[in-house]
Amino acid sequence: MTHHSFSRRGFLAAGAGGVLAATMGARPALAATDVALQLSWLPSVQFGGSYIAQSRGYWRDLGLNVALNPGGPNAPVEPPVVAGSALMGISAADYTAAAVAQGAPFRIIAVAMQKNPFAIASLPAKPVNVPKDLEGKKIGMALANTPVLKALCSLNDVDFDAIEIVPTQYDAAPLLAGQVDCLLCWETDLPVAMIMRGLKPITMLMADYGYAVQSQTYIATDDSIANRRADLIALLRGEIHGWSDYLADPAAAAALTVKMFPDAGLDLKTQELQAARQVPLMFSPVTEAHGFGWFTDDSIAANIKTLALLGQDVSPDLWDRSLLEEIHAS
Amino acid sequence: MTIALHPLRQRSSDRLWLVLGVLVALLIWELLARAFAHTYLIASPVEIARYLWANAGLVARAAGITGLTAAIGFVLGNAVAIALAALAVLVPGLARMISALALVVFCLPLVATGPILRVLWGPGLGPQITLAALAVYFTTFLPLMVGLRAAPPSWFDLVRSYGRGRLTALIEVRAMASLPYLFAGLQIAAPAAILGAMFGEFTGAERGMGVLTLRAMRSLDVAGTWALASTAATISMLAYAGLGRLGQALNTGPPPLILAPLLEGGRRKGWRVLAHPILVVLVLIALWWLSMESAGLSQFFAKRPGDVWAFLITAPEAAAHRATLGSALLETLVLALPGYLLGLALGVGLAMAMVLAPRLARAVMPIAIALRAIPIVITAPLIVIALGRGATGTITIVALMIFFPSLIACYQGLARTPRQVLELFDSYAASPLRRMASAQFPAMLPAFFAAARMAVPAAILAATTAEWLATGRGIGGLMALTASTSGYGMLWSAVVVLAGVAVAGYVGIAQIERAVLRIYGAEQLTR
Amino acid sequence: MPAESPPPIQCRDLSRSFGHGPARVDALEPFNLNFAAGQTTAIVGPSGCGKSTLLRLIAGLDTPSTGSVRIGGETPLQMRQRAALSVAFQDAALLPWRSVRGNIALARKLAHLPPDPGGVDRLIALVGLAGFEERRPADLSGGMRQRAAIARCLATDPRLLLLDEPFGAVDELTRARLNRELPALWQGHGVTTLLVTHSVSEAVLLSDRVIVLSPRPARVVADIAIDLARPRNPGAEADALIAAVTEALAQSAPPRPEPCVSAR
Repeated sequence: MTHHSFSRRGFLAAGAGGVLAATMGARPALAATDVALQLSWLPSVQFGGSYIAQSRGYWRDLGLNVALNPGGPNAPVEPPVVAGSALMGISAADYTAAAVAQGAPFRIIAVAMQKNPFAIASLPAKPVNVPKDLEGKKIGMALANTPVLKALCSLNDVDFDAIEIVPTQYDAAPLLAGQVDCLLCWETDLPVAMIMRGLKPITMLMADYGYAVQSQTYIATDDSIANRRADLIALLRGEIHGWSDYLADPAAAAALTVKMFPDAGLDLKTQELQAARQVPLMFSPVTEAHGFGWFTDDSIAANIKTLALLGQDVSPDLWDRSLLEEIHAS
Repeated sequence: MTIALHPLRQRSSDRLWLVLGVLVALLIWELLARAFAHTYLIASPVEIARYLWANAGLVARAAGITGLTAAIGFVLGNAVAIALAALAVLVPGLARMISALALVVFCLPLVATGPILRVLWGPGLGPQITLAALAVYFTTFLPLMVGLRAAPPSWFDLVRSYGRGRLTALIEVRAMASLPYLFAGLQIAAPAAILGAMFGEFTGAERGMGVLTLRAMRSLDVAGTWALASTAATISMLAYAGLGRLGQALNTGPPPLILAPLLEGGRRKGWRVLAHPILVVLVLIALWWLSMESAGLSQFFAKRPGDVWAFLITAPEAAAHRATLGSALLETLVLALPGYLLGLALGVGLAMAMVLAPRLARAVMPIAIALRAIPIVITAPLIVIALGRGATGTITIVALMIFFPSLIACYQGLARTPRQVLELFDSYAASPLRRMASAQFPAMLPAFFAAARMAVPAAILAATTAEWLATGRGIGGLMALTASTSGYGMLWSAVVVLAGVAVAGYVGIAQIERAVLRIYGAEQLTR
Repeated sequence: MPAESPPPIQCRDLSRSFGHGPARVDALEPFNLNFAAGQTTAIVGPSGCGKSTLLRLIAGLDTPSTGSVRIGGETPLQMRQRAALSVAFQDAALLPWRSVRGNIALARKLAHLPPDPGGVDRLIALVGLAGFEERRPADLSGGMRQRAAIARCLATDPRLLLLDEPFGAVDELTRARLNRELPALWQGHGVTTLLVTHSVSEAVLLSDRVIVLSPRPARVVADIAIDLARPRNPGAEADALIAAVTEALAQSAPPRPEPCVSAR
């Protein structure tokens, strides 16, 4: 699969960058390779480690000139990665499995969120502390996520039919307006918004109740893994370095994010709280032992089991740890 | 155009009442917002002002970038519309083909085109500009096609009598004669461009009104959400008013008495009836396939005609695919159709009411523009919460989205009533109602039908967007789901089916138009 | 000023029908007629008889079903392309966004002739619109618009002038005045003029020859030479001719009203 237009554009940009670097006298020896990392959402501390790697020049030192392409509600990650306009993308195990089932030649090469960030958020007046509490409640969520709720129910022996699903936009307002009793959302966004408004939401992390689906997974095509291995490894190295810095000081990552994106409407306090809340999702004894991004065979097995509940038949071939192994061997 | 001139000649007492009215409205708004503060739905004017004051730089920069992309898209989209309309007039043999292709491209749902545009353009403003251009070109193209033909035959005979051809007629006669129609189209396009640019930001952007709106909504920043909506609405209203002023400055005088009906083409017989649609479909398939191949887009997400054929017809699971798609489509159409009728009726009704009571026009027009200009991203959830997640919410959203273009087009059509006809009615001291029924309404019919045709794709777009953003049901929900789970076979099939439905609706309206104008409009205008 | 003499017109087997099959309407029967060079010929006939169709065929704005038109050895198309003919339309056909001056100047532009502001202003004065140069058509009375349209016709210095009910939309008083004033305008220019009108007195006062057509499909029922001295005024001599034309017209027309067929 070759994409002339993109490779040409990349070449021109690299040429221009090179000329600029030469005239400015900055590191003329190393001609940086242009690569793009397709993020899965709008700029926020969700990608704090990448921003650190970018601003501290970790990729530049590895010979990469990395573009961090923002995502959005209408910006799926998989097409640009397949098209080659992004070398690597940030997806999730379930989305990647769906794409692979549709014939996309993807592998998961690293995992940022060991624990899935999906949570059930509720208010103290009508709390959902354990899955059983869902019975008889009204839950606000996108209809598209029905399989997620079904999986949680079957993992925890909850009567799915006893839950009333109300399709809502991804927004905490329906919960606060009393239209629903709880929300299916990420641990790191809507609950943070509620806390920032002085509310005290209760969140039940689904990962704590058997819902094992890796999130913020790094994906690349088979073709890239085979032919652009060095670039991918450099890209991952920078990520790992950046996220290690992030762990050391999440608040600094939040401050950096706000500074890097002055026009994105980010609030520092919100970003700090989000930064802190995503630490337990991304870092664990496993990452402590093997480094950021690592995933175990047990994790793969658990994911395969949960994905089967979501109706996705996945084999361990979906994962490829060889790049991480190369990085950690050296 | 005499009606449209009235707002310029306000008396000071009128202005006082206007200011008072606005103040009362603001007060009611403020009280409502305070009463419902706990719902995190409505922000009060004071909160909005405070937010804008505190974040003036942020909002200004976002408005700047979104306004810029919208403006570029507006110019490009309208330039394409003007070029297409001019080509259709210069080469009448191509007119039907151009109209059909323009319609189909306009019918492509945002949820499907957004990601593809992002892949094609890469990072940057490309998709925002393209979506803004796509949002405006059709609503300019259609009125312009009516306007380019809205000249008496003798004007063209004049050009021909000096041995000049279509090009000269276009430059000397049609261009100026179509100006009022062009400006009606441009006014409709102004809020649409902002909306298109904001949707473009959803395909991945770091700044802009769309980015800020999304952020504000998710962080329960009600004041921010409403401040951004107010800003978007204000920009749209300013653009609308500015274009209106420009149109009046270029005012070409009272409308001419048009002695010929505005029907396109003649009646065809036998195989020729089928030949044209088949040709259009073949051209479309060729264009589709060629554009995908020439851009080298991966078959994983950029499906080709053959893939959709296989998905819906020849694959082993084709029957199941068709069933899923069919039931989702039905669910959408059941809501889109009443919304369409309601929006159209509102547009026509309000346009007529505004002509009968010009003072009403002053009060209603800003509200109408604001309703159209506030991004559907913000209004959709609000409407759904206010009216429930059932049928009413979606129907209302559809009606809101199409009522504004219908209103503008019909209002413009009413203003084009030939002066001679109006004078005749005045000479009999006919009541305004009688004049409306017998003179202005028939004169409006061509513009009304243009609006009705234009509203078909708009209604489908609105219904699917509401489903995508708010209710998660129907074919809009299906497309959103399949886009995020890489179900591109289903996504493209949905796009094809939706485009087909929109074209069918459009052609159906055109048939009704032909029948009605043959027996009613043309005769009314000729004698 | 005129570099060439006015052309004669020959119509050979000229016919025009609209529609097909049972819906077919014959507007003009095969028709043979010559118009002499430099003469003013009026064509009168009942409403909808095909007068305007005949004029449009001669102007080449419509294509004959059979037969041909030759204007001084040229086709109407050739005449039009070198701007040697001008047409005045029933509704004046002034473009509302152009001033009087702009509308008259447009004719020269359309004819690919160099602009001639002095000539345009002279024509405006000639038709009595001095002081109204910058007015838009909407600000003019019906008679003023018709005079502007006549001035536009003359702006290209044509060899053939085709006037289709040029005073149709004008009140009777104005019409009488135009009838008195306007012939002088074009008669000085050495042109062949065809005038379609339904006013018999207008035909007699303005022309050298009156052709009376029958109801649709049109045939020539009378061809009357008007041998009156100019300037003409209503009087006994004219009245006799008017009576003769009216008589021919009355005999040609059946008593029952004919449905009108539009020329388009």
